[in-house]
Amino acid sequence: MNTLEMAPKKKVGAIMVVGAGVAGMQASLDLASSGYYVYLVDRSPAIGGIMAQLDKTFPTNDCAMCIISPKLVEVGRHINIELLPNTEVESLQGQAGDFTATLKSQPRYIDLTSCTACGQCSQVCPALTVNEFNQGVDRREATFMKYPQAIPRGYSIDRDVCIGCGLCEKICLAESIRYDDRPRLTDVKVGAVILAVGNDVFDPAVLDDSTGYLRHPNVVTSLEFERILSASGPYRGHLMRPYDREEPRKIAWLQCVGSRDVNHCNNPYCSGVCCMYAIKEAVIAMEHAHSGLDTAIFFMDMRTYGKDFEQFYNRAREEHGVRFLRSRVHSVTPVGDGDLEIAYMNESGEVFTEVFNMVVLSVGFEVGRETQELAKRLGVELNENRFARTGSFTPVATSREGVFVCGTLQSPKDIPQSVLEASAAAAASSILLSDSRWDEAKTESKPFEVDVKGEPPRIGLFVCQCGINIGGVVDVPAVREYARSLPHVAYVEDNLYTCSQDTQDKMIEVIKEKNLNRVIVAACTPSTHEPLFRETLESAGLNKYLFEMANIRNHDSWVHQGDPAKATDKAKDLVRMAVAKAALLEPLKEPALSVTAGALVIGGGVAGMVAAKSIADQGYPVHLVEQASQLGGQALKLHKTWRGDSIPEYVEMLISEVNAHGGITVHLSTTVGDVQGFVGNFSSTLRNGDQSLQVEHGVAVIATGAHEYKPEEYLYRKSSQVLTHQELDARFNENDPRLHDIQSAVFIQCVGSREPERPYCSRVCCTHSVESALELKRRNPSADVYVLYRDMRTYGERELLYQEARKSGILFVRYSLDRKPVVREVEGILQVTVWDAILDGEVVLSPDLITLATAVVPNETKLLSRYFKIPVNAQNFFVEAHAKLRPVDFATDGVFLCGLAHYPKSVDESIAQAQAAASRAALLLSRDSVYFSGTIAQVDPAWCSSCGVCVSICPYSAPRFVESGRFEGKAEVNEALCKGCGLCTASCRSGAIRLQGFSDDQILAMIDAF
Amino acid sequence: MSKTFEPKILAFLCNWCSYAGADLAGVSRFQYPPTIRVMRTMCSGRVDPTYIFEGLENGFDSVFVFGCHIGDCHYIDGNVHTAKRMNLVKEVLGLAGIGKDRMHLRWVSAAEGQLFADSVKELSEVTAELGPLDMEAAQLPLAAARRTFESPRLRWLLGMDRELTERENVYHEKIDPAAYDQLLKEAAKEELEKALILETLKEGSLSVRSIASKSGLPVYTVSQRLGDIERAGQVDLDRYEGTTPLFVSLAV
Repeated sequence: MNTLEMAPKKKVGAIMVVGAGVAGMQASLDLASSGYYVYLVDRSPAIGGIMAQLDKTFPTNDCAMCIISPKLVEVGRHINIELLPNTEVESLQGQAGDFTATLKSQPRYIDLTSCTACGQCSQVCPALTVNEFNQGVDRREATFMKYPQAIPRGYSIDRDVCIGCGLCEKICLAESIRYDDRPRLTDVKVGAVILAVGNDVFDPAVLDDSTGYLRHPNVVTSLEFERILSASGPYRGHLMRPYDREEPRKIAWLQCVGSRDVNHCNNPYCSGVCCMYAIKEAVIAMEHAHSGLDTAIFFMDMRTYGKDFEQFYNRAREEHGVRFLRSRVHSVTPVGDGDLEIAYMNESGEVFTEVFNMVVLSVGFEVGRETQELAKRLGVELNENRFARTGSFTPVATSREGVFVCGTLQSPKDIPQSVLEASAAAAASSILLSDSRWDEAKTESKPFEVDVKGEPPRIGLFVCQCGINIGGVVDVPAVREYARSLPHVAYVEDNLYTCSQDTQDKMIEVIKEKNLNRVIVAACTPSTHEPLFRETLESAGLNKYLFEMANIRNHDSWVHQGDPAKATDKAKDLVRMAVAKAALLEPLKEPALSVTAGALVIGGGVAGMVAAKSIADQGYPVHLVEQASQLGGQALKLHKTWRGDSIPEYVEMLISEVNAHGGITVHLSTTVGDVQGFVGNFSSTLRNGDQSLQVEHGVAVIATGAHEYKPEEYLYRKSSQVLTHQELDARFNENDPRLHDIQSAVFIQCVGSREPERPYCSRVCCTHSVESALELKRRNPSADVYVLYRDMRTYGERELLYQEARKSGILFVRYSLDRKPVVREVEGILQVTVWDAILDGEVVLSPDLITLATAVVPNETKLLSRYFKIPVNAQNFFVEAHAKLRPVDFATDGVFLCGLAHYPKSVDESIAQAQAAASRAALLLSRDSVYFSGTIAQVDPAWCSSCGVCVSICPYSAPRFVESGRFEGKAEVNEALCKGCGLCTASCRSGAIRLQGFSDDQILAMIDAF
Repeated sequence: MSKTFEPKILAFLCNWCSYAGADLAGVSRFQYPPTIRVMRTMCSGRVDPTYIFEGLENGFDSVFVFGCHIGDCHYIDGNVHTAKRMNLVKEVLGLAGIGKDRMHLRWVSAAEGQLFADSVKELSEVTAELGPLDMEAAQLPLAAARRTFESPRLRWLLGMDRELTERENVYHEKIDPAAYDQLLKEAAKEELEKALILETLKEGSLSVRSIASKSGLPVYTVSQRLGDIERAGQVDLDRYEGTTPLFVSLAV
């Protein structure tokens, strides 16, 4: 027998990511940048998913499009990401490491390689349909681009709507229409698959219409309302109601539409995001309103359980005056001409009615039928709620080996949780395939570059007509002729489409032939096209920074259509200014930085151990530092996950795996003493008693964790019958015989959380109490168990546990902050008095056991904050680089965050975040060196007055004082850390800092040229 | 009053059949009322749908179009196009509230002098029954209906009707004529609604509700069609009066 055949087949270093929403994009970017080739498949003609439809994102109210569009562009241009839009996965054969996926791509009918997205086709198209992107609030043509910022940038034809009249082909100057396009089947070989197909939003049309959704246009879904609020939406961001475009004066939000509901639909789970987005929408709507807007949110439990969510809720209520009505809505009835009457019942059972001008249905998530079919085709199990089945300790692994899941298909969740899970799925894939890293992926080669230093500028100018988009308004030949007269301009031409492939080829020829050393394109916008033209320069042997754009379309022809003469004048001005800058452009170097292939993980709890193991499993050495004498952290004190799995068993297994791992060096009873260096080149001092050890590492992961708050109230420490959660878990773990005698138990929620001194929600305690209450019931079914709560925050699928608890007879009594329960000991017997809002009266309980659901408090953060220059918030949790899209990164490059040090979270969430941190770390570790942008600041020490304003103002800690040598005490900018924003340059009191590519002389030359 | 009312009617006659038929009526001395003023075109296919509204706007109480019988067209089948166009004209006249019977299409051959005379007589009576067109009330709908048939979208769809339903579209498929007819009617309705809004906005910035009350369109329809016009860059939000947005036409 041939022994070669017996050898395990080499795994394929490529991954298929299915679904190109924010999760799929993140997974793709992580993998494509760390040595894998990615096939990114999406059913839709454009990537971006639901996030692209949102107006703002909570809790920071960032513009969703502004933060997602750079990612769209990055995905679209990545050399290791192959975009497959309009594509479905037909089948998946093979096994982990060696899959063959059969893909079916629907025809697009417009050739993406030549389509310039000018939009002429859709302007003439006579066939209209509802615009799904705007959720049907307006319409679109059969030839369409999903949204203006869509990637791939190109139109497609909706064959279901197209009548085949042929007008678009006649009008398309780029000759991109392909009516003979056919469905295509393709096979791709991949080692792993990541499912990130997301969810549908619940369609209230399937309800019995007690919400009035089908009967009245002024009842809209929350996603429709996002589009209404969006500046690029159907009403261009003006707050209007659909029926008559009047600005509403009163808007109501109805929560839990299609969530926590088994009567009208089969969605027992909580969708986890609706409370927050409703508050956000209310606040944003008030900002949009011209006169006072009254907003009311009808809810059951307000679930603001995430980082900074509770504070957002408090501000909405206290500062913005959003009304929160804890109630059950009975019906919505159209009244008058466009208004809606809501009938609802408050907590004490009284029925009220109130009239609103508009009603928003806070619709939840739902796994769509197409996704369920996909899961079946792929052999991936779904759970009873139709989400992908995953385990407590393997949150991104599906039932099929080698197929991973992230985002809302895994369970309902918000954007940051989806993004970090995406990175976690990337890490899991990378661990599986690490032997094949760089097998399929390409590396960018640095092309030969002509030295143009010292040469007088010879500027080539290309003026684009953009079909008729520019040429139809601006007199392009006149601009072209005018440009010939400008200084240093050696060559001018105009093109029908400067961005088309044939023009690009010609541009390369012209640059060489005419000896051009600066290039200007007067066309659309650098935000979409600068990278393309820069690539062309590189192909012609020119440094890519010798390029400038004049935006004569988006900023000129498109916005001055009615005044061609002035638009032409403006185009000439813009070109003249670009020429003035271009003459001063210099070739810039992109600094390369070597990376030490090793990580330092600080914190040996579950998060730290998982991060360490995930990095080491990818082949990079890890130092794992734990200040305690054993690994395990808080998880050692826990009993079960919310899915009912034993935590001690898992932790024990994890500890032994970490200890046995050849790639992990564990340092117990050790702290970090000092940290020097920066991304790729850190050097840290580890201290264990008197001993110290110096370790070199390229990245660091902060997983310092948190601990349980020990309260002063509710007779804690005064009565042996009053415990914290972890103390009760310890008794569960030990099978303490005292547990069997408990006849009556009370859980008190929000002890030390959601109070002025600790205003955040600790996220895990509601679920913990429900699980522990159930555990008591399991051990003694006749016991009376009470949970005293403020809002039950059993978010996501944890809601099912809450339902189970209620079914099992556990009683839930709501209290409010101004009437907290009182715990007394009367003659040796515990007595709990609580005001029940439903009974509107006092309830007195005499439990054998009181469990306090106390806050999660972060561990010491100050020193690490200083060492790594990473910020902490007012509650001492570390602050990530971006609340939405960079949930495990810090603004300081090369440092990552996971676990409780970020915010309270459950074990499965900690594991996912730790895997995510490992994925982000691998982005750096997988390369010998990393390149940075040439657009960076430089200090001239001769001018520097050592005032330090640059050091204090830089958000990335790039400038610092030189410590020794000739320029000691002067500032210098670390080119690896500089992001090129120019904040320091504009603040320098001595004019010592120059931002390359945007220097004073270049900017002033442009202004002076006007 | 209607008994004594003698309508004024604009009549388009194609050169080869109906014009000759009218000549024959003369030669034969077939009498008919003196209601019509005749426009000769070489083919009924020359009659632009907008001419119907031009006629009505200029004081005619009705417009008749006469052409060759189907199959007899001297330009192969120009009259088939005429039939499709005039069907849609009738549809729009009805939708606009002007009345479908303000326009009639009849086929008269060169040999049918009697039919011509009878047709004029019969249709004149129909028009007389309707009474004079109330120009005060009809001004806005007429302008809008005319604009409807000026819209590039509708003209293109009309023009492509036979290509797409009788031959094939770009995907080598034939569109079911009934489905295409429905599509044409929907497009005409939408274009009319848009035109009504744009015509109404000629008097200045208006709210959705005032556009609705002036145009007779339902409030929600105004809101929806306004969306289409806004997307095409022909209307913009002008200003607010309290919480009521006023829209302004950007169309020249």
